[in-house]
Amino acid sequence: MAADSTTTTAATAATTDDDAVDLGRGLDALDTPTEQRTPLWKRLLTGVVPPIVAVVLFVVVWQILWASAIWPEFKLPSPEAVFGTIGTDVADGRALSIIWTSISRAVLGFLLAVVIATPIGLLVASVPLVRSAIGPVLTGLQSLPSVAWVPAAVLWFGLNDQTIYFVVLMGAVPSIANGLVSGIEQVPPLLPRVGFAMGASRSQSARLIMLPAALPGFLGGLKQGWAFAWRSLMAAEIIATSPSLGFGLGAYLNEGQALSDMPSVMAAIILILIVGIGVELLFFRPAELRVLRARGLGTGP
Amino acid sequence: MTATLERHAPEPRTGPPALDVRGVSKVFGSGEDAVVALDGVDLSVAPGEFVCLLGASGCGKSTLLNLVAGLDRPTSGTVETTAARPAVMFQEAALLPWLDAGRNVELPLRLAGIGRAQRRERARELLALVRLEGQAAKRPHELSGGMRQRVALARALAAATGLGGEGKSREEAGVLLMDEPFGALDAITRDVLQAELLRVWEATGTTVLFVTHDVRESVRLAERVVLLSSRPGRVVREWATSTADDAEELHGDITGELREVISAHGR
Repeated sequence: MAADSTTTTAATAATTDDDAVDLGRGLDALDTPTEQRTPLWKRLLTGVVPPIVAVVLFVVVWQILWASAIWPEFKLPSPEAVFGTIGTDVADGRALSIIWTSISRAVLGFLLAVVIATPIGLLVASVPLVRSAIGPVLTGLQSLPSVAWVPAAVLWFGLNDQTIYFVVLMGAVPSIANGLVSGIEQVPPLLPRVGFAMGASRSQSARLIMLPAALPGFLGGLKQGWAFAWRSLMAAEIIATSPSLGFGLGAYLNEGQALSDMPSVMAAIILILIVGIGVELLFFRPAELRVLRARGLGTGP
Repeated sequence: MTATLERHAPEPRTGPPALDVRGVSKVFGSGEDAVVALDGVDLSVAPGEFVCLLGASGCGKSTLLNLVAGLDRPTSGTVETTAARPAVMFQEAALLPWLDAGRNVELPLRLAGIGRAQRRERARELLALVRLEGQAAKRPHELSGGMRQRVALARALAAATGLGGEGKSREEAGVLLMDEPFGALDAITRDVLQAELLRVWEATGTTVLFVTHDVRESVRLAERVVLLSSRPGRVVREWATSTADDAEELHGDITGELREVISAHGR
């Protein structure tokens, strides 16, 4: 039957099975996307060197501004004084205890936020009624600066750790939940259809198809959630200070202001930045790159 | 499983049909906006048969395929299949991008609760069947469009036939539903994949219902071509390709009829 029709198509060339195999193999070889992996040194050169140069340039400009003495010393201390403050704090172990106080709170608050936000995100993404009820609230909360919760939290919980964690949660939960919702939304509708056609039950479809497919969006939400958790924590620590609260980076910053000690203030800002960026670079970036690269979506170094 | 491109006359097929569509209608929407996609469609496909559903856009051929696949319900009429669940292949490969080729093929077996070692072995077999031996560890984005579609074919075969095995009867060889699976490929890749599909079909004895709007493709692949009209979709005519002496003439016949169906909408 259709053997006749093949003579009219390009398959005429494939007179024997071997030819067809060769043709197929040739097509595979030619059409397979070639992935070019940039060598490590090149990635280091393009990924690490530019930010270092930028930081060095920044310090140089700072040094020049300080040397030109446009502003008095108590407003713009020299880079040497600021890094000297950081140096002595690190040397006597004070910096470590300050950073540890803040980081342990941020990490605990962040993990708590993940535990709370994940079911909320799943619920909003999968139940239309819940979505129309609290979806807009979630998005609204995301744009509300969590500092705004500090006065309320102080009045509700008093000056203690609960206040701090409450503010951190209000900062991080909406971001994480929204990230999960948008991750699930961005799953191509064909994937769950294919899953259903292959006989996936609802729970199998959620576990084996929807959640892995939503992972890039969820990771983006986690990353933003961490940034918000860290920010909210700093705001809470600066505003709500009390001996009972321990001495974190925010309190350190606040103390610098109280003592008009500009080098300490700037040292605190730099440490806050370093921790925020460090956690992002050490944990979130690698995780995100791994996930994206495995799906052929990875870009950049 | 030896593969040849030579076509033999179809053996007479007995027993209940692998696919039985009886008086199926499908209406989308209601009231004045209602669109009748399918109207009283009857279609019966014998076990191991290769049938092409041919029609212009909007003829409801994909709708019919979805009904058979159980992805949608008919407004009236019945769809019966001997296979517990027909496997579906779409125009896009729709592979899961986070799984490598092997695990994509394993997925339907995993969903069916089959153990790791067995499903891995079966995935290896099926990948070899579609000439992708040794590519199991590749991720979808590392494969060409044609290779991805072959992984999707292997996955559909896994879904249709489970662990398979030699000496299975036609009834157990599963039902494969294909919705313009080669529509997004370039001409020469499509040509190669058509030959591959015929080879795989002959090797496995799977029942195939193949949707296309390409007359040449339908004449080349199918034992039987079923033409659907558009809005509402009805079966207009069928051709058995094995009884035609001249493929070109058959191609001309079917094209003429298809043009007639389409121009009826312009009047």
